[in-house]
Amino acid sequence: MNWWQRLWKKKLLEDRLDRELRFHFDSQVADYMRGGMKETEARRRASLEFGALESVKDDCREARGTLWVDTTWQDLRFSFRTLRKTPAFTLAAIITLALGIGANTAIFNVTNAVLLRSLPVHDPQQLVSLKVEPGQPDGAGNTGDSETSFSDLVFECLRTRHDAFSAVIAHVPLGFSKISVRHGQMPEEALGEMTSGDLFSGLGVRMACGRPFTLDDEYNHTAVTVVSYTFFERSFGENCQNTVGHTLYIKGFPFTIVGVAARGFFGLLNGSTDIWIPLQHRPEFNAWGSSNEGYYADAKWWCLPLMARLAPGISPERAVTMVAPAFQRAAYEPLGGKPHPGEKPRTLALVPLRGVPGAEGQAKSLTVLMGMVGLILVIACGNIAMLLVARNTSRQREFSIRLAIGGSRFRLFRQLLTDSLLITGAGAVLGWILSLAATRALIAWAEIDFDVTPDATVFLFTLGIAIFAGILFGVAPLLPAVRVPIGLALKSSAANLSQSRAKLRTGRIIVAFQVSMCLMLVAASGLLVGTLRNLEHINLGFRASGLLVFGINEQLLAHSDAEAVRFYQALLEKLRALPGVESVTLMGNRIGTGWSNNTTAKVDGKDAVASGPNASIMMRWNDVGPDFFTTLRVPILRGRDLNDRDSDIAPKVAIVNQTFAQRFLAGRDPLGHSVSFNEAKPYTIVGVVANNKYTGLRENDVPMAYFPYTQTNADGVKHIEIRTVDDPVRILPIVRKAVTGFSPDLALLQPMTQQAQFDETISGERLVARLSVCFGALAVLLVATGLYGTLAYSVSRRTSEIGVRIALGARRLDVLWMILREGLVICLIGIAVGLPLTLLSAGLLESLLFGLAPRDPLTTAIAVVGVLLVSAAAGLVPANRAACVQPTIALREE
Amino acid sequence: MHAQRTDLPQGTLDLLILQVAALGPLHGYAIAQRIQQVSRAALQVQQGSLYPALHRLENKGFLAAEWKDTETGREAKFYRLTAKGRRKLKDETEDWRRLVEAVGLILALAAGEAL
Repeated sequence: MNWWQRLWKKKLLEDRLDRELRFHFDSQVADYMRGGMKETEARRRASLEFGALESVKDDCREARGTLWVDTTWQDLRFSFRTLRKTPAFTLAAIITLALGIGANTAIFNVTNAVLLRSLPVHDPQQLVSLKVEPGQPDGAGNTGDSETSFSDLVFECLRTRHDAFSAVIAHVPLGFSKISVRHGQMPEEALGEMTSGDLFSGLGVRMACGRPFTLDDEYNHTAVTVVSYTFFERSFGENCQNTVGHTLYIKGFPFTIVGVAARGFFGLLNGSTDIWIPLQHRPEFNAWGSSNEGYYADAKWWCLPLMARLAPGISPERAVTMVAPAFQRAAYEPLGGKPHPGEKPRTLALVPLRGVPGAEGQAKSLTVLMGMVGLILVIACGNIAMLLVARNTSRQREFSIRLAIGGSRFRLFRQLLTDSLLITGAGAVLGWILSLAATRALIAWAEIDFDVTPDATVFLFTLGIAIFAGILFGVAPLLPAVRVPIGLALKSSAANLSQSRAKLRTGRIIVAFQVSMCLMLVAASGLLVGTLRNLEHINLGFRASGLLVFGINEQLLAHSDAEAVRFYQALLEKLRALPGVESVTLMGNRIGTGWSNNTTAKVDGKDAVASGPNASIMMRWNDVGPDFFTTLRVPILRGRDLNDRDSDIAPKVAIVNQTFAQRFLAGRDPLGHSVSFNEAKPYTIVGVVANNKYTGLRENDVPMAYFPYTQTNADGVKHIEIRTVDDPVRILPIVRKAVTGFSPDLALLQPMTQQAQFDETISGERLVARLSVCFGALAVLLVATGLYGTLAYSVSRRTSEIGVRIALGARRLDVLWMILREGLVICLIGIAVGLPLTLLSAGLLESLLFGLAPRDPLTTAIAVVGVLLVSAAAGLVPANRAACVQPTIALREE
Repeated sequence: MHAQRTDLPQGTLDLLILQVAALGPLHGYAIAQRIQQVSRAALQVQQGSLYPALHRLENKGFLAAEWKDTETGREAKFYRLTAKGRRKLKDETEDWRRLVEAVGLILALAAGEAL
C-alpha cells in the first residue's frame, strides 16, 4: 500500500489496525488461560501488559507517514472556523494583503512583458539584436536610429556568416508611422514591416494557417504578405483558412495573403505589427517609407534594423569576434575603405532580445513604480502584523488553556502559522484576481499595444512575494503569543498589562516605520503629479484645440514632386471648401510626434555663427503648407505667413522662429537674409514667428526654419492640419469622404486632434502620475488604518486609567489631546526617519521629472503636512472615544 | 524461572523483527513470542513499540503483510521479509557485528588494565 492509498483508505486501515491488535490481545489471553489462569485474570494481565491501547494505535498511525496531512487538515479547519468567527479581522487582513499583492503583480506583469520576457518563439535565448557602437560610421546616412540600423551591404555580408549565425534577419518598418492598406471598400491603417525572407523560419514563428514567406520570396520580391493574428481577427475575423489567398492592397499595390502568423506573435516593433512583406525593390516600398534612392541603391544609407539567431553553441561575444573583420570591411567599403582620420572604428555588438523592442525607455518609470508598490506591500504587511498581534493578544487566555490541558507549544505554533498561511493564501489568490483586472485597466489606460497575459515568471513572482509577505507578518507576531505563560488562564486581565505595553510599543514602532515609507511614497507621487502638471501647462506656442490632423500618402497617385504638389494643392482646395472648416494647411513632420529634421544651419550661404551662451549651430526644420502659422495660431512677429503663391516655381522663401533670429541674426533684421541647409539653394527669410513646440512638450527652444513643402520635397507622406469651427472630430466623416474621392486607397493616417497628439507624448508621464497617486492614496489609507488601530487599542487598554483621570477632574479636551498627541508623536518620529529617506531616494526620480527639482521644498512640505493631517484625522476617532469615557462605567469594568 | 530482562538498545528492535520475520511469515504476536523465547526471555518486546515498528517497516517496504487464517481458524496479519528487507537485514546484521566487536575490544582493554 503506497503513501496515497494510506492517505485515502483511512477507514480500512483503522479497521485492520483494530483487528490486528485485538488478535494479539486475544492470543495473549488464550495463552494465559492455557497456562491455567482464569479468563478474568488472564484478561486483566493481558491488558496490563498491553498498556494504553489508544497510545499504541496512535504510534502505529504515526508510522503511516500520513499523520501530518491529517493534522494540517485539522489545523486548516480549525483556522477556518476561528477566522470565520471574526469576519471583520479576516476581511481586513485579506483585502489589505490582496491590494498589496495585486498591485505588485500587476506592475510586475507589465514590467515583465515590457522588459524581461522573451519573444514567443522557438529557443528565444539564441536571439540577439545587432547594434553598431558608437553609432553609424562618419559619412554614412542614417535614419535617426543611429545605433540599431545597418546598410544593406553589412546585412548581406553578415547573413552569409553561417559559422556565427543561423540566420540574420533584416526588418524595416514601411513608414515612420502606420501605412494604408485595404481589402474591401474602405482603406485602413496598419503597422507594417518589410523583412528578409527568413523572418519566420529564423525566429521559429509558426503560422496559424497558410505558409510563411521564404528566402525565394525575398530574392524575387514577390508581392505576398503574412498578416498578424490580431490583424486577421480585426479585419477578416472569420475563417483563418479563407483569409489566405485574399488580396491586400498595401499602399495601393496588390499583395496576396499567404499566411496568418500564430496568435501571440506581435513582431519586432514597439507596438503590434499587423503585416509583414518580403523586402521589396521599388521606390514605393523603401525603408521607413522614405523618398530617397532606396536601401538597395544607396550603399551609404544605414537604415536596416537587424537581428540574428546565434549558431548553436556560439556565445554573443564569440560571434562578434568571428565576424569583426568582415564587418569592418563591409561597413567601410563604400566610405573609402577605412575610418575617417580621428574616427573611432565602429564595432558590432549583440544584445539579447527581450521584452518589447524599443521600450527600454520605460525601464526607469517601471522601476520607480515597482519600488512604490514594493513599499505598499511592506506597509500592508505591517498592518496585518499588527492586526495579528492584537488578535493573538486577545486570544492569550485561549492559548494558555490549551497549554494547561496538555496541548504542545509546537502544535499551538503550528496552529497560528496555519492562520497566517490561510490569510496569505486567500490574500494571494484574491490579489492574483485583482491583478488581472488591474492589468487590464492598466492596458486600457496606457493604450499599451502588446500582450500582457501573465506567464510563469509572473506567477512565480506572486508566489514569491506571497511567501515573503507570509513570513514577514506571519511568523513575527507568533513568538509572543506562543510564549504565553500557562498560569495566565487563572489570572485577571490586569496582570498582563506590562506585557501588552511591550506589544503596544512594537505596534508604535511599526506604525512609525509605515509613516516614514508612506512619506516617501506621497512625496514621490507629489513630484510626479507636479511634473505632469508642468507638462500639461506648457505653452505650446500655438492653439492646439480645434485642430484636426491626419496623414496622407500621395505616393499611390503622384510619381514626381510636381505631381505631388498638384495633388496636395487640389486636396487643400477641396478641404477648405468643406463646411465647418476654417483653414487648412499641411506639414512634412507631424508636430508632437517626436520626429524632426535636424541639420547644420547656414545663414547667407555660410555656416551660421551662434551668439549667446548656446553655441550650437544646429537647427530644426519642417516643410509646411500655406497658412501654416495662421492655421496653428502662431503669432507672426515680423513679415508674413506662407501662402499659395509660394509655389515650386516662385522664389524660395523661409520663415524662422524667434530663437533662430536671436541666435544667428542677433541685432539684425532677419527679413531679407537667407537660410539654407545641406547643399540646398538659399531661402530668403520672409517672416519671423514666435517659438512653438515641434517635437514634443519637453522640447527646449531651438532654432527653427520653415520651408514651403513645394520648394523642398513634396513627395512622401504629409500631415494635413485643419482648423475647425467646432469639435474637430465631428467633421472627420466628411473629410474622410472628401479624401477617398481622390482614390479608394487613400486612408487618413492616424487621424486625431492635435491636442491628442501632444497629449500622447506625455501619456507615459500621465500614467505614472496617476498610478503614483493611486499608490500614494493606498499607502495613506493603510497607514491611517494602522495608526487608528494602534490608538484604538491603546485607548481600550487604558480605559480604566482614563476613567480615573476624568474622575479626578481631567478635562475632556485634555484627554482628547493626550491620545491625539500619542498619534502625532508616532507620526513625527516616522517623519523624522522618513524625511532623510525621502530626500535621499528622490534623486532616483530625477530623470522622470520636468520643471521641478527632485528635492522640491514645496512638494516635500506638502507631503509632510499631508501625512500629519491624515495622522491627526486617524487619531481623532479613538481620541474622541477616550474623551467620552464615562468614569463610573470604566471603573466598574476593572 | 525469570531471566533478567534487558532493555533493547535504540534501533535494535527493527533488526530483531527482520531476523525473526526471515524465518517465515509470522503474525505480530508470534514475532513477539519468538523474540522472547529465543532470547530465553531476556528480551521482552512491548506491544507499544512492536506494532509501530512493524507498521513502519511495512510502509518502508522491508516487510510485506498479508491477511491469512491461523491454525486456530482466526484471520491474522502475517508479516514476511521482502527482498529489500533481506538486504536491509544483511546490512544491519553486519553493522551490529562490527559494533559488538568494537565494544568488545574496548571492554577487553579495560578489563586488561584493571588486572
